[in-house]
Amino acid sequence: MPIQLKLFGDLRKKAQDQISGTSSLKLKIDNTGFKKVLDIMKVFSIKEEEVSHIFVNGSYSGFKKNVNSGDIVALFPNNMGVLYKWYFNRDEDE
Amino acid sequence: MSTLEAKFEDLPEDYAALGGRGMTSVIVANEVPPTCHPLRIHNKLVFAPGIVTGTSAPTSGRISVGGKSPLTGGIKEANAGTNFAQMLGRMRIGAIIIEGKHDGKDYYLLKVTNDGTEFVNANKWSGKGLYGVYKELFSKFGNKVGICSVGIGAELLGAMAGVCFNDPEGLPSRYAGRGGLGAVMASKGLKFIVVDETGAPGVEIANEDIFKQGATKLRDALLNHPVTKPGGGLNSYGTSVLVNIINEAGGLPHRNFSSGQDDQAEKISGEAKAEEIKKRGGVRPHFCSPGCIIQCSEVWNKPGGDPVGVLEYESVWALGANCGIYDLDSIAELNWACNDLGVDTIEAGTTIAVAMEGGLIEMGDGKGALDLLEEIRKRTPTGRMISQGTEITGKVLGVTRIPTCKGQGFPAYDPRAIKGIGVTFATTPMGADHTAGYAIAPEIMGVGGQLDPKDPKKAEVSRNLQLATAALDAAGYCLFVAFAILDIPEGLVGIVETINGVLGANLTVDDVSKIGKQIIDVELDFNKKAGFTALDDRLPEFIMEEKLPPHNGVFDVSDDELDSVF
Repeated sequence: MPIQLKLFGDLRKKAQDQISGTSSLKLKIDNTGFKKVLDIMKVFSIKEEEVSHIFVNGSYSGFKKNVNSGDIVALFPNNMGVLYKWYFNRDEDE
Repeated sequence: MSTLEAKFEDLPEDYAALGGRGMTSVIVANEVPPTCHPLRIHNKLVFAPGIVTGTSAPTSGRISVGGKSPLTGGIKEANAGTNFAQMLGRMRIGAIIIEGKHDGKDYYLLKVTNDGTEFVNANKWSGKGLYGVYKELFSKFGNKVGICSVGIGAELLGAMAGVCFNDPEGLPSRYAGRGGLGAVMASKGLKFIVVDETGAPGVEIANEDIFKQGATKLRDALLNHPVTKPGGGLNSYGTSVLVNIINEAGGLPHRNFSSGQDDQAEKISGEAKAEEIKKRGGVRPHFCSPGCIIQCSEVWNKPGGDPVGVLEYESVWALGANCGIYDLDSIAELNWACNDLGVDTIEAGTTIAVAMEGGLIEMGDGKGALDLLEEIRKRTPTGRMISQGTEITGKVLGVTRIPTCKGQGFPAYDPRAIKGIGVTFATTPMGADHTAGYAIAPEIMGVGGQLDPKDPKKAEVSRNLQLATAALDAAGYCLFVAFAILDIPEGLVGIVETINGVLGANLTVDDVSKIGKQIIDVELDFNKKAGFTALDDRLPEFIMEEKLPPHNGVFDVSDDELDSVF
């Protein structure tokens, strides 16, 4: 079962040269050995400093959060870092 | 207002270092009997620009409005960004206090100039929508004045009536919306305040060098942070950039707080709105008051071209997702109606959603929602009920899922998914208020130390955020400066230096939370004397028992933890 990746805002350009519309870019990617959110980011050359908020299955997460087949991973660019992040537990794995 | 007299008084020495929320809350606490009826003679309405408002300090055009709230029964401060605030600052007006009560059915306009004041009978501008009235007032008094007003919702003494200020285009779209302070103003017979700053001396700055140094530091921080800089997130998408983020977090309340996530949210996101403005015309980015670097505001136009003004995140959520409405034009019509009637968009949205759940109209019925608001204009019994807000409407209709705390409708964050903000909703003296805890991280404030993200102490987070927010509200800065000064600490130093520059003080960053604590202590004491107890710092039962999809969480913060906040 693939992982669903949702890229918002400018991060969409990391996966598609031409962006139209305003919706998030939803991609299904085969889980070929991804262990962490960071592994997925590397595929699209997304650097840590380019990301503000990460959600895995709707949970506020960190770069080292484990990912599994069927998970939904959402990434927001650094200019969308407007969450009340202090109010969230950041879900992170070692 | 009892005698239609106005006079200038020197600012008492004790008040000299106060501004914004600090000024309004101290005056209300000192001069308003806590147990008084909020719509009778003993309540007062206080307007105060922030300490640095009217200077060249960036993003500081805020005005606080304070009084005893008819919605919560407690002390209230609501604030707005508008050039009206900057004019008061430049006229060296620390506060306007409206007291007494006109004995009769006439409404008045108070004109304030550098030379004096004048009351003008305002009956011909009463009972009318504010969009049309603002055109008439600017035509009569000139385009350079600032206008404050209340609308038909306030004439009904509705507890969702806000205090409205003009935006740069002269639209009635900048609101100190929360808590029903518009009804307090109307109850006194006052409909409008018009300010003409011609000949104003400008803000007195005790130490120009320190002030300029601080303003430069803050400006640099705002210009270099990805969220606040030109072309950054807030500038590009407006506050509605939060829609997709909070929805993704499962914390965006849909259909009267029955779900925290819905794929339709993307249709009303900041990204979608910005794109539509680009296509159809309008203004984006846009400032609510001159001198703002962030410029998160906008002018949304109806399909025919008529301007509505800004569609803020909270408004888009309240009148949109929370009512099951996912069409920006329908939301804009509702927002226009709220502005025209002079009612708070958040309270209007939570009230309409409760009315939908109570069967008055169908969930998701945009036309029906607009008709409900028009009942206010018609002054029907239904309109009067709606104008009193979420809790009263819910009770009348037999609804048991009523999202309020201290009588005030929840803003756009579900406490079951975002528990820390639930603590703030429960414990702020203001009633459920998102802005009460929207500020600086504890690490920056140097109080409470580094938090363990796996085990956040919610009471501590909420307390520190509330203290910092109160201080920013007093200074006159927009809360959105917090994003920059969180990551760029020199920005916070700059804020403190601008305050020092104006006041001739020697405050440090460590003093910020102390200033906030002084303000909140005054507010808590007022509420205690008004009869509030710890039991008022609780969220409604359904929030603790009904599971919220998709995470299926409930609000499970203990009473002990809530009570430990203050």
